[in-house]
Amino acid sequence: MIRVLITDDSRVMRQIVIRTLRQAGYDWDVSEASDGVEALEAVRADEPDVVLSDWNMPNLNGIDLLRRLRAEGFQTPFGFVTSEGSPEMRATAEAAGALFLIAKPFTAEGFREVIDPVLA
Amino acid sequence: MSAVVEHDQVLTIAREVFAAMVDGDPGLLQPWDGDLPAFDQSISAWVDVSGDWHGRAVLTTDKSIADDLARALLDLGADEEVTDLDLVDAFGEVANVVGGNVKSLLPTQGSLGLPQVAPVAPALAGAAVVQELRLAWRGRPFVVAVWGIEKAAEEGNRS
Repeated sequence: MIRVLITDDSRVMRQIVIRTLRQAGYDWDVSEASDGVEALEAVRADEPDVVLSDWNMPNLNGIDLLRRLRAEGFQTPFGFVTSEGSPEMRATAEAAGALFLIAKPFTAEGFREVIDPVLA
Repeated sequence: MSAVVEHDQVLTIAREVFAAMVDGDPGLLQPWDGDLPAFDQSISAWVDVSGDWHGRAVLTTDKSIADDLARALLDLGADEEVTDLDLVDAFGEVANVVGGNVKSLLPTQGSLGLPQVAPVAPALAGAAVVQELRLAWRGRPFVVAVWGIEKAAEEGNRS
């Protein structure tokens, strides 16, 4: 079973992401982090198979989390689930090593379209 | 002269956000017909955009309606209590997604602040209402507004 770390400072949004993953048919083992610092510690302690992360978070934001992970040698597959999906942010995410960026609001179908090609 | 963000664009964003995050149905957020009633206990959630364009997306409704919004987001029953923490999280996150999508419409990208929730959104120096949508969410009043700082006012503030 794929182990996913969902990182978002909003508990509500983490819950919605978990619900949407299930609706999309991904029966994954889920763990949660409430900001980039928590996520970084979680990956160091027990690297998951994939990280789904918000971008805009206190303490350590999503893009800096991804850069820190790569700098520390973690090649964990990483995707953003964020309220901003501009071309500039997509380019920044890709340059830092993200596999995809899902813009909020999202649907289960949208999750499948983006996640299936890279993780299935 | 056209506004930086058009009325219909904000309406489309609000409907998509509510349909995807809250209702699963795009028909539950509609334009409000007639005068908007006063809120018994108003509550606002907002997020600021900084950059070439400075502004704010502000959602305002009655606390009882915001509680129901949080219940919908958290899959709580109609009689289950909504804590202040859950209310701030849920209402703030809806403002965050609306604000993020408004930001995506801007010609140049800036940065998005973190969502905040309070009875009234504080004044933003030099800002004027760019769009104000009086809406009905599940038949109850809900206002989505975009505030913006005019370039001239901003330059005046700097001088």
